[in-house]
Amino acid sequence: MRRRRNKTSDEAEVDMTPMLDIVFIMLIFFIVTATFLDERGIDLTQPPPPPDDLPDTVPKPAITVYVDNQSVCAVDGNQTECDRVSLAVERLLADKPGANIILRVNESARHGLLVTLKDEFDGKGLGSKIEIVRNS
Amino acid sequence: MARRSRTIIEEEDAELNMTPMLDVVFILLIFFIVTSVFVKTPGIDPFKPEADTAAEWQPGILIAVNSQNEIWIDKRPYDLADVRPIITAMRDENPKAEAIIIADKDAEVGISMGLQDLMQDLNISTRVSTK
Repeated sequence: MRRRRNKTSDEAEVDMTPMLDIVFIMLIFFIVTATFLDERGIDLTQPPPPPDDLPDTVPKPAITVYVDNQSVCAVDGNQTECDRVSLAVERLLADKPGANIILRVNESARHGLLVTLKDEFDGKGLGSKIEIVRNS
Repeated sequence: MARRSRTIIEEEDAELNMTPMLDVVFILLIFFIVTSVFVKTPGIDPFKPEADTAAEWQPGILIAVNSQNEIWIDKRPYDLADVRPIITAMRDENPKAEAIIIADKDAEVGISMGLQDLMQDLNISTRVSTK
């Protein structure tokens, strides 16, 4: 009698099956809901406008790049192919060192064009300011 | 004779050893719990513009704009005029979340930048998604 009792307590094991079931259900839930994001982004946010009560300073020269509602580009009023805008701006910068670059984009222009232009300027280390022109 | 009876007992007791499998399952479970991000995906995959200066961005709020200028959030289309309460609700749910605007190459600048102005107004830091 004593011997048999010893034997059963030796063999006693915790039944893992219910825990296994739960673990598997959780595993499958997390596998199904897992979304792996691999996003890359470019910063197009503009700094807030400076306060109006700044002391008057000599205004810096500016180079304005226009993009109209047909996504046609112009640099300081001269129509330019959009791929060559950054080259044209660099040429103008030689004449006007330290000039601000202003990207004036019509709101109906293509989004891809704005990203490409901004990316080109950023890639060349040229700071640029984006202005959206609303069709009123 | 004695030997034979012992082998019978061993066969009756034989059970699969589940421990290594359990270890693997637990490691997988912990991996998926840790990496899981519960973001509301927009439900569309726009044709993104390319850029060289883009950097990694881990957004919690995803907003997509397709080439027809529809704004998609959490698998529903909206107009620019209607998205403000939706984005405000998403920000209140997760105040630290950063956002990304996934706009199609052929979307209008007015929509993507209008969205960005809205996000800046709501103090959400935002990037524009590129390839």
